[in-house]
Amino acid sequence: MSTVNTLLTYEGIPIWRHVRVIQWMLQIVSAIVIVALLAWFFTNIGNAVQDRDIPFGFTFLDREYQTPIGEHFIPYDSSDTFRYAMFVAVTNTLLVAVLGVIAATALGVVIGVARLSSNWILSKVALVYIEFFRNVPLLVQLLFWLFIVLALPPVRRGFEIADSIYINNAGISFPGPNSGGSFSMTLIWVAMIALGIALGVVAHKLLSKRELVSGRASYPVAAGFAVAAGVAALSWLALAAVGDAPMIVTSPEPAGRFGRIAGGVTIRAGLLILLIGLVIYTAAFIAEIVRAGIQSVGRGQVEAARAMGLSPMQALRHVTFPQALRVIIPPLISQCLNLTKNSSLGGAVGYTDLTNVGITMTQTAPAVSIFLLIMLAYLAMSLAWSVTGNLYNRYISFERR
Amino acid sequence: MTRLPAFSFAFLALTALAACSQGLTEEDVEARAELRAREMMEEMRAAESERTAAAPATGMSQETQSSRLQQVRERGAVLCASNNGIPGFGFIDDSGNNVGFDIDLCRAVAAAVLGDPNAIRIQVISPMEMGATIQSGEVDMLVRTVTASTSREAQWGNFTVPMYYDGQGFIVHRELGITSALDMEGASVCVAQGTTTELNLQDFSNLHDLDIQAKTFDDTDVAVFSYLGEQCDAFTTDHSGLFAYRSGFDDPDDHVILPETISEEPLAPAVPHGDERWYDIVKTVMGIIIYAEAYGVTSDSVPTAKTGDSAVDRMFGLEGSFGQESIGLSKTVAQDVIRAVGSYGELYERHLGSGGIGIAREDEGRNALWSAAPCADCPKGGQIYSVPLR
Repeated sequence: MSTVNTLLTYEGIPIWRHVRVIQWMLQIVSAIVIVALLAWFFTNIGNAVQDRDIPFGFTFLDREYQTPIGEHFIPYDSSDTFRYAMFVAVTNTLLVAVLGVIAATALGVVIGVARLSSNWILSKVALVYIEFFRNVPLLVQLLFWLFIVLALPPVRRGFEIADSIYINNAGISFPGPNSGGSFSMTLIWVAMIALGIALGVVAHKLLSKRELVSGRASYPVAAGFAVAAGVAALSWLALAAVGDAPMIVTSPEPAGRFGRIAGGVTIRAGLLILLIGLVIYTAAFIAEIVRAGIQSVGRGQVEAARAMGLSPMQALRHVTFPQALRVIIPPLISQCLNLTKNSSLGGAVGYTDLTNVGITMTQTAPAVSIFLLIMLAYLAMSLAWSVTGNLYNRYISFERR
Repeated sequence: MTRLPAFSFAFLALTALAACSQGLTEEDVEARAELRAREMMEEMRAAESERTAAAPATGMSQETQSSRLQQVRERGAVLCASNNGIPGFGFIDDSGNNVGFDIDLCRAVAAAVLGDPNAIRIQVISPMEMGATIQSGEVDMLVRTVTASTSREAQWGNFTVPMYYDGQGFIVHRELGITSALDMEGASVCVAQGTTTELNLQDFSNLHDLDIQAKTFDDTDVAVFSYLGEQCDAFTTDHSGLFAYRSGFDDPDDHVILPETISEEPLAPAVPHGDERWYDIVKTVMGIIIYAEAYGVTSDSVPTAKTGDSAVDRMFGLEGSFGQESIGLSKTVAQDVIRAVGSYGELYERHLGSGGIGIAREDEGRNALWSAAPCADCPKGGQIYSVPLR
């Protein structure tokens, strides 16, 4: 009310030049423009869809997909529905995203630190790595890795190490848990592993605190890993005793007329190439982010740490890095998003990621609907990274003074 | 948190779109298309009756002229949507010309309606663009190894005469010693995302319980390269494509194209909906090419004087008529067409047979003529056939 009164009784400069009026007008005008643009955009889509008889709708989701999905990590059969097939495709992309982000972050940190090393050769190697892989298009790099992998011998003449590890251009096979057991048991086991990891983290926290308070060595890292591994192993034994074992460790061996490797764990070429390409490419960007983060920490901090008798490695770990993290995390999140989105190039190297499966789906279902769903799926994955990253960022910036 | 409003706004917009789309189901779209088709039919019928009513008064003949034919003559060129990347059907040769079986079918139509086989303009399109291109009517003809089917006929345009019977097949490494697609149990097969290629592969695998592992690539060339690198045991695409690719391999003899086809792919030139006369014209030109072979006429032996065989004389405009003038073509249209591109046999030999990508044309094979001449006792047993020119 007071604003209105002020405006009404105001006798100074004209009302349209009043700073608040201008601000409000700008807000209103931009809101109208945005709404009008969106309305025009969606009416246009609606009209085009009608005029050209472009099929649209979501009834197809309950139909059988009837098309193969080359690689899948949860059970899939061609008689499953489009809905489930899309979920399978999302898990394929998620797998690449999670593995890729972990590996790219690890590699990126190592190279970023190497870039700042006082060792001249190490520093220059890191520099060349960063400049090379950052400046060559990702698709070109992926095709390069594809051709490298194709240069390996084919499966029938592939390398064989100790009768248990097979390396060929169809992928790498080694002994490991095969999804031979029951799928629901496996899901329960995965949940137990997650619980184990959570308990491990708690153990690590408690022991670290004890170490800090009492000054006695309490081995928090080792204890954390032991707890996690122990829970995983015990739950496996328990589940195996109750019913089907969730995962059975088998050795791979050539089978059938074509000598394809069966059993064990096989990382197939498509996934391998996509992961190598994405990790190496993204790590170059992460290395630069890490370098910038470390350099943002005042030189005095390192000097003070060294003066207190910390080794260079300890200074990095306990003084520089925790402070650098605050600078590193926000751009690191955007690299996670990039890696996730770039995984849509999987189809180029024969990996059935979400986009690849989506394109195939358009042959038997409405393209506009499918791509709307795919966009939503990528949006959801990206938002999940953002939320995780922002939470972590808030957690580490908590002690800022 | 400041980003939250923007996200929720985008989310709301998307949900709104999803919500209104729900109202418009696939069935609705189909029903609407049907309604529009019916309206168009009625309009056309009304126009037709007007014309027939007006005809006696003005003394015009009852024939309806093709408006597209007029457009083509005014333009002075036939517009064909085709390809420049498939050896044998439409590709760029050493001297930089776009040549092939499909291109020659376009040239034949140009020779028929304009008297000049070179009066063509080729619009190179991708498989994804085929439907939209012919639907919009921006081209006169679609000849791009395009498979005819009922749903395409309903949505895209009218398909004329099947000029090549294709089908999805397999190529395998010779060292595997496989002779039949049924031996491929547990094989890994490289496949490019095609129209229904993956679907056919899965159907075949399910039908014969073969447990084939598909390896899907965005791009056909990369899929072929992966097959050559033996990442897969086999590669699958249409038979014609297998022959075309094999002709480009360093060592074609190390690869075997299996005899089975696992899908029906009759390739036929298509024309846009809504101009029946133009459809008749293209169909007639295809018939001329096929019957030239049946009568043993080649581009070198086009008759210009009566031969005494009245069927041949009728076809080449030397006696009577087979209806060519009623649809707006010249009396001697067959002479122009065959002189320009040759008979079906010549076309096949030049582009697809030994002169081209090397697909053998066997008697009783699908792409043999149905009959060597229109007589009862001389069938060739193939499927290449057109309604008689009579």
